[in-house]
Amino acid sequence: MSETPLIQIRNLTKYYGTKLVLKNLSLDIYPGQVIGYIGPNGAGKSTTVKILTGLIPDFSGEVIVDGISMANDPQSIKKLFGYVPENAEIYDVLTPLEYLDFIGKLYGMEANTLADRATKLLAAFGLANNVNDRMDTFSKGMKQKVLLIAGIIHNPKIIILDEPLSGLDANAVIMVKELIMRLSKEGKTIFYCSHMMDVVEKVSDRIMLINKGEVIADGTFESLKQNHSDTLERIFSKLTGREDSGNEAEAIINALD
Amino acid sequence: MNKIYLRFVKLLNPVLSRAGVDTVQLYDILRIKLIIDERRPKAMFAVRQNNKKKVQSPWFVSFFSILMGAFIGLTLFLNNMPYVGQTIYFSVFMVLMSLTLISDFTTVLIDTRDQFIILPRPVNDRTIAVSRILHISIYVLRLALLQGLPGMVMIGFIDGPAAVPIFFIQILEVTFMSIFLVNIVYLVLMKFVSPQKFKDIINYIQIVFSILIFGSYYLLPRLINVTILENISILSHWYSYILPPVWIGALNELLFHHGRANLITIFLAITGLVVPLLGLWLVAKVLAPGFNRRLSIIATSDGSQNTPAAVKTERNSGFMDKIADLVAPDPVENAGFRITWKLATRSREFKMKVYPAFGYIPIYFLYFTLNGKGQSLAERWENVKAGHNYIILAYLCTFLLMAALSNVAMSDKYKSAWVYYTTPISEPGKILSGMYKAILVIFYIPYSLFWGAVIVSIWGPAAINDVLLAMLVGIIYGILMALFLIKGLPFSKPVMIKQSGGRIVTTLMTMILLGGMGVGHYFLMRWETVIWIAIIPFLFISWIMLYYYKKTTWEGLEMADDL
Repeated sequence: MSETPLIQIRNLTKYYGTKLVLKNLSLDIYPGQVIGYIGPNGAGKSTTVKILTGLIPDFSGEVIVDGISMANDPQSIKKLFGYVPENAEIYDVLTPLEYLDFIGKLYGMEANTLADRATKLLAAFGLANNVNDRMDTFSKGMKQKVLLIAGIIHNPKIIILDEPLSGLDANAVIMVKELIMRLSKEGKTIFYCSHMMDVVEKVSDRIMLINKGEVIADGTFESLKQNHSDTLERIFSKLTGREDSGNEAEAIINALD
Repeated sequence: MNKIYLRFVKLLNPVLSRAGVDTVQLYDILRIKLIIDERRPKAMFAVRQNNKKKVQSPWFVSFFSILMGAFIGLTLFLNNMPYVGQTIYFSVFMVLMSLTLISDFTTVLIDTRDQFIILPRPVNDRTIAVSRILHISIYVLRLALLQGLPGMVMIGFIDGPAAVPIFFIQILEVTFMSIFLVNIVYLVLMKFVSPQKFKDIINYIQIVFSILIFGSYYLLPRLINVTILENISILSHWYSYILPPVWIGALNELLFHHGRANLITIFLAITGLVVPLLGLWLVAKVLAPGFNRRLSIIATSDGSQNTPAAVKTERNSGFMDKIADLVAPDPVENAGFRITWKLATRSREFKMKVYPAFGYIPIYFLYFTLNGKGQSLAERWENVKAGHNYIILAYLCTFLLMAALSNVAMSDKYKSAWVYYTTPISEPGKILSGMYKAILVIFYIPYSLFWGAVIVSIWGPAAINDVLLAMLVGIIYGILMALFLIKGLPFSKPVMIKQSGGRIVTTLMTMILLGGMGVGHYFLMRWETVIWIAIIPFLFISWIMLYYYKKTTWEGLEMADDL
């Protein structure tokens, strides 16, 4: 990989109050990569994503995306990103079509292209019959589909997915996994955060494990396997200091006696 | 309607785009926000509406604002003393406006979803800030115009057409003043309390607001004596000089009733023009920047896991433990008692629906008893004191029991009630009786005792037996209602869409029964011993009924269809 990285993070440090969340984090992400970004709860995953998407403007260190610095021109960077948030926030009194129309216009999309694309995407996700229903009656999976569409509707260069499979049924999960691979073939860069190790293992070409604000493992699944263990789940627990999970289970069983 | 506002905003486009605002994005954000407002149920009406999902049409809400405006506009017709009328009008206007702003608009100001929906998109800060300011302005001006419209028409009849534009200016003054006040309230609250507390306090303000509306609707016509008002000389009290509505009313006095105007009126009128503008400037320049920052702190601290400050620890209450073990010794019943106690005192939704009843009851009492035409307020009060009407108050306390019972089985988060169905509870009636006892212990009994003490202090110890009997009748009535109408475990059912016909008949029947007992009680009151003796069988009846209530089986219960 001789080309220049699409996303460069240098010495990223972030405190909440006095609590250190990210400790001199540095990483380079190249175009077309699917990054699996994993780590235990509270490791700093969400914070990294929030800084990348511009939700947290004050941090120390450098974030450069496509040659643009986050500190100087966050708006141009936001245009490159598509973001699917983890906590399913949506204006649910709107219909999917109204919502997508709104999001698309914030990206400055042209009205006809937007309407056309929104309808086609909704149909492709199996929501053709619900385009004009209010989302407050939707199931969790249906809302998640709308959020996924909102994340790709402007055809972004980089897609950030934060736990995108929550609430989806098995068929939709298979479809989204397929979609991630297709998008990556189209040259999109995908930043995928999840706790579901088996999915991360399958879709990512590069896995980054962070713990306590630092990257503690970085490489393809194959290279991680050679150095550590045979499944991503095991690698995860070995590296994040939970190898003695057998002991924990033991303690739990004992407590019931 | 919204189209008109949006078109108006478009007129500002050249100025805004020069200031660095993306006008296309601004237009879309505003449009979506207005649609969301329109579909959002208003807090003010949700109180008395069973079904929260049902959305009032914007026309109905507008109509209500106009109606309120017309109602307070009547004060303008105080012909002898227009200044007094104006002062009252603008005082009520300001109170209504401020309370609506606080209770209805807080949810809009603290829309946490913006953080995840708008902020990650390429929208610059200035556009977001301007969209927020314009959104608030549209909301406030719409409210002010609707509420002020009837007044503008009325003043045209009273002081001639020339007074209409002046009145419009006065409405703007009072609106700016309200915004200023609300901002100060917010800032003080945000400075001194945590975000979690902040929402609770807003919740209480909403409750007080609904009591105020209710009270003014029922009681103002009874309490205000027009002839007295017309003889008040407003400027004879020193404190009236510091009341903003007095400044605002002064403008009309100065321009249309020169006869009475003097140097002081001129000074007050100028104050009325200057202070609201000064306040607005202060809000924009000094208060607003910190305001937005604090708001975003509240917004982000809400759902995110990385702020330990938002965690609310509950103290272990030894007091509750003792009472729970005393009145509900059975483990299952004890569980029902505790869960009801905790959820009822912590859930905002339940408080919002039940707590207003605390205020409605004395209002109803005064409404029923303070009549008597042509008498002064003091004479009417003497009549009340001389009679035996206090029994109405004692029976009205049942209203609180009713309000609590009809909401205790319902919750927005009814799905959490799955625990009842997955645990091996063979006698669900025990949970019900625990629930009922909890409602009695936390709401009904203390509240009845409070009013009982008030009654005894006014009407003397002869009222003690009446208070006790009324309380027992209330408890029996409550069990009847619970047996036939509630049929649900605590907080286990979705908020009901509508009541079935059979329910309404049963409600009526139990109401008639309660009324009949009250009337019977009223006639028996002259024989003190009879009342004392009646207490004994009633105590027995309530004990038996609770016993049967405890026997409720799963067949007798309704549960949500979509757990």
